[in-house]
Amino acid sequence: MKFVTRALLVCAAVGGVSAVSFAQGTQGVELAGTVMVERTQTVDGVAKTVLVEPTNVVPGEQLVFTTRYRNNTGQPVENFVITNPLPDAVQLARAGDFEVSVDGGSSFGSLSGATVSGADGVSRPAQLADVTHLRWVLPSIASGASGEVEYHAVVR
Amino acid sequence: MSLLRPVWVAAASGAFFAAATVPAHAEGVRAGTIISNTATASYESGGAGRTVQSNTLEFRVDELLDVAVASQDGAPVASSGQATLTFSVTNTGNGPEAFVLTADPAVAGNPFNPTIVTLAVDSNGNGIYDEGDQILANGGLGPLLDPDASVTVFVIVDTENAPDGQTVQIALLAEAQTGTGTPGTVFAGQGEGGGDAVAGASGADDQAQGAIVTSVSAVALLKSAAVADPFGGSEPVPGAIVTFTIVAQVSGSGSVANLRVADEIPASTSYRAGSLQLNGAPLTDAADADAGQASASGIAVQLGTVAAGENPNVTFDVIID
Repeated sequence: MKFVTRALLVCAAVGGVSAVSFAQGTQGVELAGTVMVERTQTVDGVAKTVLVEPTNVVPGEQLVFTTRYRNNTGQPVENFVITNPLPDAVQLARAGDFEVSVDGGSSFGSLSGATVSGADGVSRPAQLADVTHLRWVLPSIASGASGEVEYHAVVR
Repeated sequence: MSLLRPVWVAAASGAFFAAATVPAHAEGVRAGTIISNTATASYESGGAGRTVQSNTLEFRVDELLDVAVASQDGAPVASSGQATLTFSVTNTGNGPEAFVLTADPAVAGNPFNPTIVTLAVDSNGNGIYDEGDQILANGGLGPLLDPDASVTVFVIVDTENAPDGQTVQIALLAEAQTGTGTPGTVFAGQGEGGGDAVAGASGADDQAQGAIVTSVSAVALLKSAAVADPFGGSEPVPGAIVTFTIVAQVSGSGSVANLRVADEIPASTSYRAGSLQLNGAPLTDAADADAGQASASGIAVQLGTVAAGENPNVTFDVIID
């Protein structure tokens, strides 16, 4: 399984001088989100998947939400948990390196183990469309380290 | 210190969607909907628990222009002059949209091209072309349809003077009022909710065909007479009874409606009361519930709808004066 930090960039942020080079005074952990749309572009008869800015987004399109984090605390942090409520207008496109919640964020786990109550009141296995929240759990982030997490969603 | 934070760290709040419950499964997110995404993180640092929120991403869902047209006729519609074809037009996009509706009688392969009389929208929703429906010129704009809503459209076609037994196709085309184009074509600023409109997989237009089979009928009346004189012979002498037989022959295919057979009582003869018959069954002379009536001046029998191949016959007697 792929580790959650796709691009774990450990910066030598020990000591005053190098720490100044990024975000002096940003003493917490930074979180920054971006979103891109996955589109297929055909160039010279070859179909390619490209990521573009979210303009002219319509139902059925694939979105990639990315959240970058950076530990600017000057010391390691522990039990780092990123929680992302899924916007109502999208549904999760596929499972990933995260836990999911199908009950509005009360409990998290793997999708395969989750059940939801259907319209008829009968419990059924949860599907991607049932996911309401995502959660990434990192035991620790070294001082100055950064990385990112992402999920793929489809506009309902 | 907050002044020195990168802009994108500024914690945003007030996400439009709380996602507190399992969302309903919609056919498609309505145009103009704002998608808003915010992540939060909790962690422990130096023994203290902290939380941080990401920037909030917000962008609008644009209007998808899509439409589906389908014939509602299970089989070719028989036409003996005029026929009504029934189609459904469904807005499969995600915003309210009206569609230009055009019926095309010149479909490749047609043995002849019938005339489009008019289009009509099933305004009263009863599925039948009747008086309550809104007439629409061919090429006119149909009603505004909400996403996933559909409307029944009738195409009234004239096949007058066409030969019997011909099958012709009529196409109904629906085109988004905003515009049509290859999938992905953008109509800037013309979307519902302030965004753009984008042609969907249908290209923002669709068409379907309905079929008509012509059925032409003709009626021929054959009249014959048989004389029975009072002496057991067949001489047309005074007192002889003449039995007239009128056979209505319907040829071609289909049927004729409201067929009525009438005849006068010949001069110098008198109608024999109670002699009127339809297919051998007696009819009363009075103008009443049965199909026939007779008097001193003539007879009339209402045959109603008669299918081709049926040959109903009417008989009556007169007495030579």
